[in-house]
Amino acid sequence: MTGFIAVVFVCGLSIMKIASAQSDQPSDAQIQLVQNNCLALKSTLNQLHASDALLRVNMGQLYESMAVKLMNGFNGRIENNNLNNISLVSETKNYNSILDNFRNDYRAYEEQLSSAINIDCQNHPVSFYNAISSARVARDKVHSDVLQLNQSIASYQSTVGQFESDYLLSLEGTVR
Amino acid sequence: MENKIVEAQSFIHKHNFLVFISLSILISAVVVYISMQMYNSSGAAQLDLSRPGYVSVRSKVDTSDSDYETYSANGPMNKGVIDNFKEQFKKQAQKIEAVDAFGGSPLDSTALGISDTSTQ
Repeated sequence: MTGFIAVVFVCGLSIMKIASAQSDQPSDAQIQLVQNNCLALKSTLNQLHASDALLRVNMGQLYESMAVKLMNGFNGRIENNNLNNISLVSETKNYNSILDNFRNDYRAYEEQLSSAINIDCQNHPVSFYNAISSARVARDKVHSDVLQLNQSIASYQSTVGQFESDYLLSLEGTVR
Repeated sequence: MENKIVEAQSFIHKHNFLVFISLSILISAVVVYISMQMYNSSGAAQLDLSRPGYVSVRSKVDTSDSDYETYSANGPMNKGVIDNFKEQFKKQAQKIEAVDAFGGSPLDSTALGISDTSTQ
């Protein structure tokens, strides 16, 4: 129930952000600023584009390894010992589905940022401003996926703890 | 109709080298188009740091994940094994949580210097 409320809240927040990004039209002063700082803005966006790509590659590797090298291995070990791994498999599935969202959302963000970079901010400052607003929303979505991945990792960790106590209890039962 | 087919056949026979080259170019263009579509839609484009524009960060890619050992699915299960896994997992989880990836607000109007207040 709490999870459902959290999902509804996050969706609502995203819709509100998208709506506000679309309705957030730049003022004349902002248009002037965009035109005056066009080159500097492009350079900043290019730097962000490159540093986020590096972050995507490095963090993506870590996220991927977490599932492939650790979670799958441990789940397999439990299964091969004929023990119950259902809750851990379910946690891993949830993690992988968030990881898929992360990949897709990052792709959407990168495309949006690239399109902003490609807009001629001198002649089309409003389109440029709006493209940045959309890229901001897309980046927030990627960040929210990252937070969910962190939560999912913590949840897997606590499920391993639960598995350990159940396993030790079952051993005690066998000994008695 | 038959005449046209005969004409086409004779044209191909006369200019077979030209037809061969044209068809080769056409087929390679189609194949390149399909592969570029796949490259972009699969997400590979976003991970490809060999593209222009990524020169400055290319050398910073972390290529050593040697401390990320693959946990073997084969072997016994006991308290020691679980504790060992928990330790490995915790180490990697801390590494991930230490980075606030895609946090901050570098695209905010204020950060970019294009907010209304920037004019004041």
